[in-house]
Amino acid sequence: MSAYRNDQGAEAIAPSMVLSSVTKTFGGLRAVGNVSFTVPERSIFGLIGPNGAGKTTVFNLITGVYKPDLGTIVFHGTDLGPHKPSQIARLGVARTFQNIRLFGQLTVLENVLVACENRRKAGLFSALLRSPLFYRDEEEMKERALKLLAIFDLDGMADEISTSLSYGNQRRLEIARAMMLEPKLLLLDEPAAGMNYGEAEGLKKQIRWLRDEFKLTVVLVEHNMQVVMGVCEQLHVLDHGETIASGTPDEVRKHPKVLAAYLGEEVEDGQEAPEPPLPKHHGHGEEEPPYAAPETTELE
Amino acid sequence: MSPTGRRIGKQVLGTVIVLALVVGLEFGFEKVLPDAAWRQLALFAMVNVIVALSLNVINGMAGQFSIGHAGFVGIGAYSAAIIAGTMHASLVASGQSGADPTFANSFLIMPVALLGAGVIAGLFGFVVGLPSLRLKGDYLAIVTLGFAEIFRLVIATSQTGVGNQSGLSGLLAKLGGQNGYAGPDSTGVPQYAGPFWIFGAVILCTVIAWRMKFSGWGRALRALREDEIASAAVGVDPTRYKVYSFVIAAVGAGVAGGLLASMRDGNPTVQPDQFTFTYSFDAITMVILGGSGSVSGAIFGGVFVTFTVKMIEQLQGLESVQALKAAHPALDLNALRMVVYAAVLITLMILRPEGLFGERELFRSAKSKRAIKPNGAGDKPAEATEKEASS
Repeated sequence: MSAYRNDQGAEAIAPSMVLSSVTKTFGGLRAVGNVSFTVPERSIFGLIGPNGAGKTTVFNLITGVYKPDLGTIVFHGTDLGPHKPSQIARLGVARTFQNIRLFGQLTVLENVLVACENRRKAGLFSALLRSPLFYRDEEEMKERALKLLAIFDLDGMADEISTSLSYGNQRRLEIARAMMLEPKLLLLDEPAAGMNYGEAEGLKKQIRWLRDEFKLTVVLVEHNMQVVMGVCEQLHVLDHGETIASGTPDEVRKHPKVLAAYLGEEVEDGQEAPEPPLPKHHGHGEEEPPYAAPETTELE
Repeated sequence: MSPTGRRIGKQVLGTVIVLALVVGLEFGFEKVLPDAAWRQLALFAMVNVIVALSLNVINGMAGQFSIGHAGFVGIGAYSAAIIAGTMHASLVASGQSGADPTFANSFLIMPVALLGAGVIAGLFGFVVGLPSLRLKGDYLAIVTLGFAEIFRLVIATSQTGVGNQSGLSGLLAKLGGQNGYAGPDSTGVPQYAGPFWIFGAVILCTVIAWRMKFSGWGRALRALREDEIASAAVGVDPTRYKVYSFVIAAVGAGVAGGLLASMRDGNPTVQPDQFTFTYSFDAITMVILGGSGSVSGAIFGGVFVTFTVKMIEQLQGLESVQALKAAHPALDLNALRMVVYAAVLITLMILRPEGLFGERELFRSAKSKRAIKPNGAGDKPAEATEKEASS
């Protein structure tokens, strides 16, 4: 679609993002310590861990809200270190927030439109003159925004003030807004928080559909194991800012350190852990989602 | 092409009507308002509307709390007074003009004076805005207040009549210190800004403020006000937008100051006391009272505050009021003014904390500008129309 997307061409094997030995400390607290992982392009990558593991901090480091003390974050060959959050967004990294951050007093449509501000051809001057370019620009963007809102079933409430939306709709609006950036990488911070079983199932479908439709790479921070195990192709597990495991969902769920971190078992006993509380068919069974216990303690 | 054509037609028609109106006001204003005090008040209200409109950009739309707006108005006033005064003096010297300003000559002088006032105030806005917009909330407020007070005090305390002074202090002395600046030959700043210029500027500023608010730029600014982190996350650079809005607000204030300096029936000297904190505070009241972020609100607030603050003061000159005063010597109208003002503000704070208009506008419903409805055009994606149908 956009010009810069073409320069990758066909080399889809290239990693979308590489974190190398990223460390961030706040005072004496090591929020993220020496974390490295590679997100393959067009994959759905899960970043999980107990509360306070540093997942959201990793997101804030990627999007430039914080700068890493050590280590580098490379996104499609660009070191994100020297870039400001707004520049990183323009490079194609879009995100949603754990505690929803919508533009409260703006309408649903306006919320989405803000995200294409940097794409507009008509500057302030042509806005003041109300030139034909301004109208064309505005109409093109409104059309794109309404298409996106329609995807998320929000087009019917385009003129409503965003804070008047229900919680689930606000979460979806955040994703729609992020998608308006035409990102290459979408960071979702607990998209399933507060969703019931059915809604979470819908979200899983939506994430996969978005990835395929918009050729995205998705990185997901999530506590809801129904979503994580069902949708992620690769997982990276953090605890107290350190990497404790990484791999496919099947590998990770059997990893003793992961079980220890989530269920509080001794690491040494982990190998002998009796019944790993996991479903046979992850994600779409009728049973309770696995790791139900940590899910109920989302207090971050 | 036809909607574009209609749009241009409308714009041309609007411009012609506005021009006819302001030219009519230029020549008919004295008939509409025979009392010079009322004329002065009306023009001052219009200047204050521009002050409120410009402050609304930074305080209302961008959500930055600047309380030093009078400083920029003052910079504009001094700049325009110097430019207009010097140009007028040279016109008189070359015999192209009499001592009294004419309407024809105002076209020579006002554009230059207002442009100069706007540019100089804008430059100061940039210099002040660049470092201080890294600050938030109260801290930004303190810096802006400090800037305005520094500007005022530097002029007010400059030594005049000491004789030959060189350098900066010499230049400052020419501004007249506490007594004010009254043109290069101290005969008063030429009063070129008649109703044509002042009402014209108000209309132009309103159009600019309106178009700014209802453009992507204004939307980004309002988004920034709502959530800085989220707006950065969607590619809106907070610093850039804040500095821009600060400069635009300063330019608007400078133009208002320029008009104030050369206002017909106004004060022919520009004095530092016109630009105290009280004036900044009045400007904030105009914005808050009308509704932060609302263009209509800023206009209403500008007019309303000017009249409430100044009206009773002006009324004291009227014969009937003086008769009343003679009958009741204990009546202190000045004190009464503050009581009325305070009562209005308190009532408003209780009844409508978001201001009279909130962020809304007159003559504009939220839905009227929805150019495209999802089911309006035929080129929508299948799923969009599907969902339209099913819902």
